Amino acid sequence: MNVTERRICINSALILFGAMLLGVSSPPACGQNPKLDIKNLEPLAKKASEVVDVNLDGSLLKLASKFMTDEDDREGLEIVKGLKGIYVKNFEFDKPGEYSQADVEAIRNQLQTPSWSRIVSARSKHDGETTEIYLMTESDGGKVLGMAIINAEPKELTVVNIVGPIDINKLSSLEGKMGIPRLSEEEKESTKKSEGHDEKQK
Amino acid sequence: MRNRNRLLAHAILIFVFLQFLPATAVAGDPEFHALVERVSAYYQKRPMRGMGLLSFIANRFTPQGVGHFQMAIFDDITSPRTALREELESSLQGLVGPDYQPFVRAQDNRGGDLTIIYIRESGKQSFEMLIISIDSSDAVLMKMRLRPEAMREWMDEPVERGKGSSHHGGSSAGK
Repeated sequence: MNVTERRICINSALILFGAMLLGVSSPPACGQNPKLDIKNLEPLAKKASEVVDVNLDGSLLKLASKFMTDEDDREGLEIVKGLKGIYVKNFEFDKPGEYSQADVEAIRNQLQTPSWSRIVSARSKHDGETTEIYLMTESDGGKVLGMAIINAEPKELTVVNIVGPIDINKLSSLEGKMGIPRLSEEEKESTKKSEGHDEKQK
Repeated sequence: MRNRNRLLAHAILIFVFLQFLPATAVAGDPEFHALVERVSAYYQKRPMRGMGLLSFIANRFTPQGVGHFQMAIFDDITSPRTALREELESSLQGLVGPDYQPFVRAQDNRGGDLTIIYIRESGKQSFEMLIISIDSSDAVLMKMRLRPEAMREWMDEPVERGKGSSHHGGSSAGK
């Protein structure tokens, strides 16, 4: 083995060692990423009559926080300041039944990892609406790292992904803003309608 | 009576004069003009005439908190580029420049419209919104300045307003 061959051999070993180190260190970081790959829903866009994407990443959230100046916005502002992004994808269909639960699996599959847990699953038989709320928490079960909301109606499907630390107690202050559905109202409504019609799990 | 006729004659003269101005000259925003030029070069097509006057009139009727409205329309676009939506979308960010952040993207499959709404900060108390709406044959560019109260409405209901923009070519801004 001459000098050049030895150098190539050493370099290869170093690259391999580096790759092994990266391989060992990266999986936990990947496993804790609350940003969903919403692009997986792209095939659904062809079936939908209308598709709206809202993209509020870091710089836009900073911008949004500048006009949250009302007294009512104080809690919302605290949440927004810590967030990395809010992403909303809304599909509207001409007729009911134009998308199936299998179409939503592309998102649900991403929420099957141990770091995500479903905290709300509400279904209204009356209007056929289902709402699921998932939280990603730190591995010790402490801090909330992100949130996902899947709201499925017969002619409309909305997926919301909130990335960043969230104080669940203050989340209600963001409901109905930035594309986040009014969850408590929906729950109240479905509870009202539920008398004799609906079933609800929590 | 003579005064009234003179006023009417002046109004007609101004109207005729404005008709012959370049499409966006009335608005006098060099940045918007540059954007229109870039889009014009992209499509190899000049914008419709009289847009400056239309923008001038529209400014009188904009909702509260919305101002500096400017518009350019490119009709009968036959460029093969319009067919390549993905290429078009990636080109748009290059055309509008890095300052504008894409905020809402609305795709109406019924009419084949694609609307992308960009925003950026403009001074301490205002924001600039750029709406680009494209279908298979036309492209519409709209730029407006939004005060916080108008911008706040967009932030509260981005999905609904995005849908409104794709249906009405952005006319829902600030309403």
